[in-house]
Amino acid sequence: MEKRTFVVFCLCLILLGLNIQTGWSSDWPSWRGPYQNGVSDETGLISNWSLEGKNLLWKADFVGRSTPIVINGRVYVVGRTGEGVNMQRVVACYDAKDGKLIWEDKYNVFHATVPFTRVGWSSLAGDPETGNIYYFGVDGMFVCYNKDGKRLWEHSFVEEYNRFAGYGGRTCTPVIDQDLVIVNGANNTWGNLLIMRHRFFAYDKRSGELVWISTINEPNKNTNYSVPVVTNIGGKRLLIVGGGSGWVYAMKIRTGEHIWKFQLSKGAIQASVVVDGRFVYATHHVENFDNTTWGRVVCIDATGNGDVTKTHEKWRRDGLEVGYASPLVHGGRLYLVNNSGNMFALDAKTGEEKWVLNIGKVGKGSPVWADGKIFATEVNGGFHIIEPGENEAKFLDRKQVPFDDKRFAEIFGSPAIAYGRVYFTSAAGLFCLGDKKAEFKVTPPSFVRIPELAAPTLDNPTHLQIVPAEVWVNVNDKVQFGVRGFDDFGRRTSAINVEFSLNGLQGKIDKNGQFTSDKKAGNQAGYVVAKLGDLETRARVAVADNLPWEFDFENFEVDKNPPLWPGTWKFLVKDMDGNKVLAKPPSKRMLKRHNLILGPPSMKNYTIQADLKGTKIKRRSPDMGLISHRYYLDFMTKKKRLQIRTWPAELERLKVEIPFTWNPEIWYTMIMQVEIKNGKAMIKGKVWPRDEKEPKDWTITAEDPNPNKHGSPGLYGDAQTTIFFDNVKVTQNN
Amino acid sequence: MVKKHGLLLIRILVGIGILSTIGFYTLVETAMWGGSPGRNMASDETGLPAEWDPESGKNIKWTAQLGSQTYGNPVIIGGKIFVGTNNQAVRNPKLKGDRGVVMVFRESDGKFLWQSAHTKLASGRVNDWPQQGICSSPFVEGDRLYYVSNRAEVICADTEGFYDNENDGPYVDEENKSKIDEDIIWRYDMIDELDTFPHNLATCSPLVVGDLVFVVTANGVDETHINVPSPEAPSFIALNKNTGELVWENASPGENILHGQWSNPSYSVIDGTAQIIFPGGDGWVYAFVPETGKLLWKFDCNPKESVWELGGSGTRNNIISTPVIWNNKVYIGVGQDPEHGESSGHWYAIDATKRGDITESGKVWHRGNEDFNRTMSTAAIHDGLMYIADLSGFVYCWDANTGEEYWKYDAFAAIWGSPYYADGKVYIGDEDGDVAVLKAGKEMELLAEINMDNAVYTTPVAKNGVLYITNRSKLFATALQK
Repeated sequence: MEKRTFVVFCLCLILLGLNIQTGWSSDWPSWRGPYQNGVSDETGLISNWSLEGKNLLWKADFVGRSTPIVINGRVYVVGRTGEGVNMQRVVACYDAKDGKLIWEDKYNVFHATVPFTRVGWSSLAGDPETGNIYYFGVDGMFVCYNKDGKRLWEHSFVEEYNRFAGYGGRTCTPVIDQDLVIVNGANNTWGNLLIMRHRFFAYDKRSGELVWISTINEPNKNTNYSVPVVTNIGGKRLLIVGGGSGWVYAMKIRTGEHIWKFQLSKGAIQASVVVDGRFVYATHHVENFDNTTWGRVVCIDATGNGDVTKTHEKWRRDGLEVGYASPLVHGGRLYLVNNSGNMFALDAKTGEEKWVLNIGKVGKGSPVWADGKIFATEVNGGFHIIEPGENEAKFLDRKQVPFDDKRFAEIFGSPAIAYGRVYFTSAAGLFCLGDKKAEFKVTPPSFVRIPELAAPTLDNPTHLQIVPAEVWVNVNDKVQFGVRGFDDFGRRTSAINVEFSLNGLQGKIDKNGQFTSDKKAGNQAGYVVAKLGDLETRARVAVADNLPWEFDFENFEVDKNPPLWPGTWKFLVKDMDGNKVLAKPPSKRMLKRHNLILGPPSMKNYTIQADLKGTKIKRRSPDMGLISHRYYLDFMTKKKRLQIRTWPAELERLKVEIPFTWNPEIWYTMIMQVEIKNGKAMIKGKVWPRDEKEPKDWTITAEDPNPNKHGSPGLYGDAQTTIFFDNVKVTQNN
Repeated sequence: MVKKHGLLLIRILVGIGILSTIGFYTLVETAMWGGSPGRNMASDETGLPAEWDPESGKNIKWTAQLGSQTYGNPVIIGGKIFVGTNNQAVRNPKLKGDRGVVMVFRESDGKFLWQSAHTKLASGRVNDWPQQGICSSPFVEGDRLYYVSNRAEVICADTEGFYDNENDGPYVDEENKSKIDEDIIWRYDMIDELDTFPHNLATCSPLVVGDLVFVVTANGVDETHINVPSPEAPSFIALNKNTGELVWENASPGENILHGQWSNPSYSVIDGTAQIIFPGGDGWVYAFVPETGKLLWKFDCNPKESVWELGGSGTRNNIISTPVIWNNKVYIGVGQDPEHGESSGHWYAIDATKRGDITESGKVWHRGNEDFNRTMSTAAIHDGLMYIADLSGFVYCWDANTGEEYWKYDAFAAIWGSPYYADGKVYIGDEDGDVAVLKAGKEMELLAEINMDNAVYTTPVAKNGVLYITNRSKLFATALQK
């Protein structure tokens, strides 16, 4: 066995040596380009340009912070659009040749604590094989488009997994490899995922079915947006990424199993790593975990196993704060842009500094190498073309892109290079630079990007994977599960026969893996378990009953989180004078704003009702309310008002509020109803002291011309005092 | 004991109404952010170095290890130096992890004496940003220091720590009472008592005048960056300096708070009237009667047509700069969190003798838009010239009376700290760790540019012939070598 592994390992090394970067692509399918390292094979690129028109091929009216992707002759970008009630995010597709808008998809932002100006900070990912485009937004919406802008499928991370919004607005960029598309975020939800952690979610890129969830065990420190890189090391196809925990991780891409981890910083790692052969270069801009300096660039030998912090560091340089821009590696050089806008060229083997060039004051975009030049952006409108030399660098061109007649246009994204042209986004538009005399030619990608280990199919799996890994289905649905085996190298084994069983679920599972819920079980959550010898895998299954629902919490266990629902970690069942209620106690850690999501995001045309009671301590008292169709009805007791909104960080999008006094001693009843009529959403709310008669009229109403047509029902609370909920009802509208 | 009697006498004297700056200073030595209650970043110190070199040690008297992030400014008094930082240096092995720290050093040789070390708020970065330490520069008066902790508490502590072998009270429940720990006199928890919601961090450098401690509470928006969860919680408070009891509060900025409130109060007797000047999170500057909190005047530092936006193109700004009082005028500018980027800023000279809404009537001069960028810096005024910097890395010399520009220096890196005038020179640090030494006067002359290894986010400060500079992780005492 050992011998065989060794042979396979050698074979793999040979394959690696032969195959890596021998292909050629003219596309720019992901934010760091075809090789994920900021390098393009394109030639004939410009060395200067002017805003007046020299080498400026086209400019599209588009505002964004992302890096464009360019595939199949098209440029895809994500950004923001509209004003007031029309504030939305937009995914747009332009003709790479002339900048003509081919399609755009505008969509509401909701459940997001991120403001409008930070919408579309992450980039899209394009799949050259299917032509599909993948988007992950500040509100946790994960959407798959076909090349023509049709939404093929979507997942709502806030509603399905209670994704933590994070801080500041930057979110992950999807990564595509073979049949998978992988996104990540910090979350926690019911059952075995009750602890807040940074997690990775891999989906079937065609169907949108969840294939695996992989959890980082070290606590999450901050918002993370380090984009993973795919590579092949030691015969294992790996996903390598800087984690929200401050460690760098390598995991098997088809299973999410962790291979090695490397400790780097005390805060989250936010810049993406870059891989060159068997070496991983990682950077960060906060405290180092082992000394008082800030920032580190490190070269990690990626062939290790387990905790490789002490064993696989090749070199380090402390004090280099590279927190946003991803490194660029080319020709034995590692190029970095630090937070204060200085570009460093290091010897990739030793870390020795070769030159430094000041390119501005704030470094966020990542540099790109192509045609012997480096293209680099800087936040204050900087777009620079640099000639890198052995011991110095010089500017071929320096620009500060202006914004209207005013100052400069902010540039947060990185350049994309395709078809002999350079594309980048700014607050003043989407730019395409190139030689006007050059012929425009789109060449389909024709290479194997990351070599696959050619080896005989193995029959002895070391890992089982059940798909779908998580679902939230209706009580009438039949769910078909499939189980795959993988060997130690993370390769699919031949077909396997597993035994299925249920854990915590009422219903039945047949021997072929088809699950049917017990109709009498109502709303429930649990696991479908598949076993093969000593191997076991579990799928997470939540079942939503048909409406109406009523939760009086009498059947729930006291002092426990409810056993189902995303967001349940912040809610506890309590006994109040013999009556069980749901409490949201003050948070011991982290934010005090929480949602409890009661049903899947596809629900629509329903009414939610609940009894609520807030408590007052000194000057503190709660905001509490209901959620329906991605709208909030919020009883803000401190501000003495009721408010309807949809995007907590952008009240200009939708806000209706009325004065409403609060008595801390009593229970209130709240009703929230959303109806979609004539293309508009009518949002209505009623609030009254529970012991009084229900008022005939709605207490507050709002109208949204850009309706959220569906969305989960839920409970909402934002407080450092306890909120109690009881008698929650969800009914279908008449 | 002698000292305590002295203080008692001072308290009595202050109690009977000697509030004027001069009267106050002849009685007891104080030290604070900006050197004096008017917060002018100008000093009378002389014999300061124009160059030094951290690498070779030239003109470096000593260096002391701080944490890994330092924004609090050194305050030097009574043979001690007080500076806010974080806990990455772990001075007390029993107190590990992320904490807000005030370190106290001996002035003569930089020997570490004692520290405060506050744990972080459980609510996380929205209220207490990781690793930022304590940004408040303490106010020291005799044997008492006052500062705002990262937990949004106003702390009054004994400058002697436990070196006097006494646990001074009323607060005696300190968890750690070794020689190197802090002896707290009283603490006032603004979140618990007032329901404030400090945005990202409470940073105020308090000001003590008479019997009152004045503090900006840091009340701000929550994680949505738009909702002010506690609009009725005060932005400005006055506490009794002996007991920590609330004397008055003011919540004027209320729901108009744009982001956080990270600035500091200043004080002076202007045209015979004592004024406590508070910069508000709504972009207004407010002046109050110190004893009562009655409004004297207010001034809007943003053009009426300006728009608040979280990003570079927003034209409305908040106040991070500390108001400087000079010749009956208040000097202040607007800017934003550096995370929001660079853009147009504004700078004003305000006539503080006017009353009411003096946005128009009190505007002596203004520079902004194309002439000046967002700033976090506080002005240094000397000899009729005002020195100021902006986040975009420019240092300006303007006529303090007219606003006329004499020169502009480009540091080529972001500036967070303030220019400091002393000994005919202007010292200013930047994000790339360079300290520029400029000749004071109407002609620009760069005397030296010295790299301090990592970012200098703080303001240099001089005392007893020594210029103190902190980068992120070290305190440098620079002095001409004898």
